[in-house]
Amino acid sequence: MTDDKRTESVSASDALTAHRQECDACQVGGVQSDDIVRVLSRSVVELDAPQWSARTVDQLRPVLWRRARAVWWRQVAIAVLLALVPLPLVVAYDSYFLQLLHTLVCAVVPTAFATYLVVSYAAFLVLLFATTYAAIPLILARSNGVATSAHG
Amino acid sequence: MESDEALVADLARGEESALRELLRRYERPLSHFIFRHTRGQDVEDLYQETWLRVAKQAVRFDSTKRFSTWLFQIALNLCRDWHRRSVPAGDATAEPVATSDLARREAAMDAAALLANLPEAQREVVILRYYHDMTEEETASILDCPKGTVKSRMHHAMARLAALVRKEAS
Repeated sequence: MTDDKRTESVSASDALTAHRQECDACQVGGVQSDDIVRVLSRSVVELDAPQWSARTVDQLRPVLWRRARAVWWRQVAIAVLLALVPLPLVVAYDSYFLQLLHTLVCAVVPTAFATYLVVSYAAFLVLLFATTYAAIPLILARSNGVATSAHG
Repeated sequence: MESDEALVADLARGEESALRELLRRYERPLSHFIFRHTRGQDVEDLYQETWLRVAKQAVRFDSTKRFSTWLFQIALNLCRDWHRRSVPAGDATAEPVATSDLARREAAMDAAALLANLPEAQREVVILRYYHDMTEEETASILDCPKGTVKSRMHHAMARLAALVRKEAS
């Protein structure tokens, strides 16, 4: 008898014995739990459950993959929406800052050159924002480990 | 070690590792449970169908409940459906002891035939209490019936089994 089967038999015996002790009707009726355990413990089940589990995982992989993707996109959407909340404030502040910068630079260099410098700086800021927002899905994918499963 | 309920939450997010761990923990009891209910027929199909439902319904799993109870409830419902499909109408309670070659082989070597003599409701209680060491509360929860009903079914099952054992011995 394997350890598993022995454990199963012992716990099973306990279950039936416990029931017999609690159940007046079984005591009166003279039900012998040992005899029942003896017969029931002859049940031998040889199943290749690990193999079935492997096949189950294969079968469920597309379902899980779709769910992981759905969860991931939901997280991305939430993160992007949250990141967009302070954006109007940031844009307003930057606009004010660029106007101020333009005024200051105009005092030092010709207007055309000052405009070129400020517009270049503004373009740099826009690029910086775009990169920051684009990084959100990458950061989420990295933290969740979804990127690897999604592509591999 | 992560709890079963936490693993179901991970599974609801599509994590394959959570599914693997749950399978590892429950493959043996679940496959044996199905085997004893169907007497070895269509076990793999029912096993896979159970996990398919677990994976699909993981999002709706109530984490305040025990995963094992939920899992066996799903398996039990599938086994009941299987019985309804496989047993001809009007013959559901009087299940034949040996309906196939497989069953006859089992009758000779183990307790399957003995269990088959029990009505389905009593057999379910014996399988859960005896082979899966579940408490009366857990059994009642899986079978969706009062604890007293589990107790009475167990009593009737024991009395019937004792009679069958005596008959077998004589």
